[in-house]
Amino acid sequence: MLARVAAVSQFPGFVRWAFGAEDANDPMKMGTVHEGQSPLSAQQKPHVYQPQFFTPTEYAMIDQLSELIIPADDTPGARDAGVSEFIDFMTASDTTLQPRFRDGLQLLDARATTKYGAVFMKLPEDKQTELLRAVAYKSTSDTEGRKFFLLVREYTVMGYYTSRIGLEQLDYPGLKLYAQSPACPHEGDPEHKHLPPPRY
Amino acid sequence: MPKEMYDVIVIGTGAGGGMAIHTLCQAGAKVCALNGSRRLDPKKDFRNHRQPYDMKYRGFGSPKLRRESIGYMDNEYTEGIWEHDIVFTTAPGTEWTWRRCFAVGGKTNFWGRSSARFAEIDFRAATRDGYDVDWPISYEEIAPYYSRVERMIGVASTVQNRPSNPDGDYLPAMNFRCIDWILHSGGQKIGIPYLPDRIAQLTVPHAGHPGCHFCANCTEGCDVGAFFSTPWFFLPEAEKSGNLEIRTNVLAKNILTDENGRAAGVAYIDRKTKQEHEVYGKAVVVAASCVESARILLNSKSSHWPNGIANSSGQVGRNLCDHLYGTTARGYFPQLLGQPSFPDGVSASTIAWMPRWQNLENPKQEKFIRGYSVYPDGGCAGFPSYFDLIEGFGREYKREIKRRYPTPVSFYIQAPSQRSDSNYVDIDPVVKDMYGIPAARIHFEWDQNTLLMWEHGKQACEDLLHASGAEYLGAAAAPDIPGTSLHETGTLRMGHDPKKFVTNRFGQTHDVPNLYVCDASVFPNCTDKTTTISILAFSLRTSEYLIENLKRA
Repeated sequence: MLARVAAVSQFPGFVRWAFGAEDANDPMKMGTVHEGQSPLSAQQKPHVYQPQFFTPTEYAMIDQLSELIIPADDTPGARDAGVSEFIDFMTASDTTLQPRFRDGLQLLDARATTKYGAVFMKLPEDKQTELLRAVAYKSTSDTEGRKFFLLVREYTVMGYYTSRIGLEQLDYPGLKLYAQSPACPHEGDPEHKHLPPPRY
Repeated sequence: MPKEMYDVIVIGTGAGGGMAIHTLCQAGAKVCALNGSRRLDPKKDFRNHRQPYDMKYRGFGSPKLRRESIGYMDNEYTEGIWEHDIVFTTAPGTEWTWRRCFAVGGKTNFWGRSSARFAEIDFRAATRDGYDVDWPISYEEIAPYYSRVERMIGVASTVQNRPSNPDGDYLPAMNFRCIDWILHSGGQKIGIPYLPDRIAQLTVPHAGHPGCHFCANCTEGCDVGAFFSTPWFFLPEAEKSGNLEIRTNVLAKNILTDENGRAAGVAYIDRKTKQEHEVYGKAVVVAASCVESARILLNSKSSHWPNGIANSSGQVGRNLCDHLYGTTARGYFPQLLGQPSFPDGVSASTIAWMPRWQNLENPKQEKFIRGYSVYPDGGCAGFPSYFDLIEGFGREYKREIKRRYPTPVSFYIQAPSQRSDSNYVDIDPVVKDMYGIPAARIHFEWDQNTLLMWEHGKQACEDLLHASGAEYLGAAAAPDIPGTSLHETGTLRMGHDPKKFVTNRFGQTHDVPNLYVCDASVFPNCTDKTTTISILAFSLRTSEYLIENLKRA
């Protein structure tokens, strides 16, 4: 336990997510477990996050890109899930990742300046979206731009869907406790041809 | 000072060693078990109940871990458990990936739990198709051991009446998920069996162990012992008998011999002090897993055994087989698009499988001999790994990830390699591990028969997807690298002829009567089934045979 506390204390910490309680790893300590109940305690929210790798300008850009990729709509988006913190932390701890992100951000700024005469963050959101669209699809001729887009998207998806918000948005059914092995609820429809209309 | 003398020294505490230890200690034998690494503490080492956001790197692992990981099981949840320090080498042209768990309990801590019995069709394969050799025992002879093992460890399945899959003593099967019913229906249309797997996962409490709570992270270890592993099932009972001493963090270096060339004990290195020690016993059981067991025997050279102990046949290390693994098809079910998530990917299990359906009636029906099995996977997983199949970004992208969440499906083939003279283990003439023990060198490549199964499997799985109304998205470009399955067999094969086989039908070496082998290295060939339950059954039989011999002596 002390070792764990020490490890956490050296860790910069995140605004949006943090380590779960010690007991999260020990179902015996969780008391009465009800079917479908998550064994996890609430996340803690420590102090303001200080970027470990990106400059404030770069960090703002990463934050904006992640939100453009997974925006808040009827469910929370990348910003709500602290994706930029995740990307900064992963980049800070991986030197091979650093030039890929930094060069990519510069490339995007260069594209922005060429096309609209201003760097990415100075542009309104519709222009930013246009710039992303130009590199987002297989059909693009901007190979370098697309490479960077795929990198940012990959890390945005990684960060978002491993956050509590992201997993709740998917309604991830794992890491809960079930009394019986969960069974298909669609009795009498083995081919699943008569399901209710799609909900999403 | 008189030498301390045990009845039996057991090298390894995994499935084979754990069963030997348990059986021997219960019978009253004094056992010293040697284990290559530490004991795990389920409360600290099994992080399987943590959400990704409770892990420092969200479960993706530190850059160092990601760089050095030897496969998906070696991840942030299991960091520090898989063996990285003990080197092995590969011959030119051989690719081999090798995840070894040297912790007490070995790979049973993290195994896949699929537990089908071998069948007479496997033991008599050579008679049926003319290739290689039959096993020296019949199904009838081993069946009672399978039954006893199933009762000890708890295996969930149904009675299926298939010639390649003898039925056993089963706990209630896992329930089918949505994808299972869909694929089952598709399989019925094109004649591919789709059935509950035999899975060593406690669907109900069993033999003093709690039932599974279906949390989904079994491959990171179970912190309540709801599936079989030797630290949860065998070792505590063996220790309670007062007959067991486990020495941890020690590496078996070689088997010691007496003046008659019989096994006298084991020389081992203490990993902390790097000092060499010896331990003595009336008999020695080798259960270090296929390649390591061969390495120990080959490294046990003496005037009696210039080519390694029990190797007068020259067959120690030969006949290495493995399961070819690989993704034969992936796709998604349009009929599930946009449906709410179901708790269907949550047992991280081979809930169902497609047991061998090839060459059953006629051994030469296909272009290849023998047969393979396939494991399906899919449903609502922990991470939407299909994200890169969707184009674009923004609201539509996010919606599409959600819509596809219940739909993914993929297949994983388990195809046995056939023995060949060019697949074997020997000792690297130059390289030693950090403790000065000569390293194992692996020579391996897939044989043509196995690659034909791979091609056949890709077609069958594509057909099944179409028959199930799924969209087919392709197969892996190539099978996984050899070694991925962790199902090595055959380096110390059992057989009647001492000139051709290392061990006899009881797993006792032909050359050295007090040296026994209790792991998959005794299996004469690889089948379409996983190895653990058979290791347990054969180890139980060998251990009881050993006890009889000890009593007689």
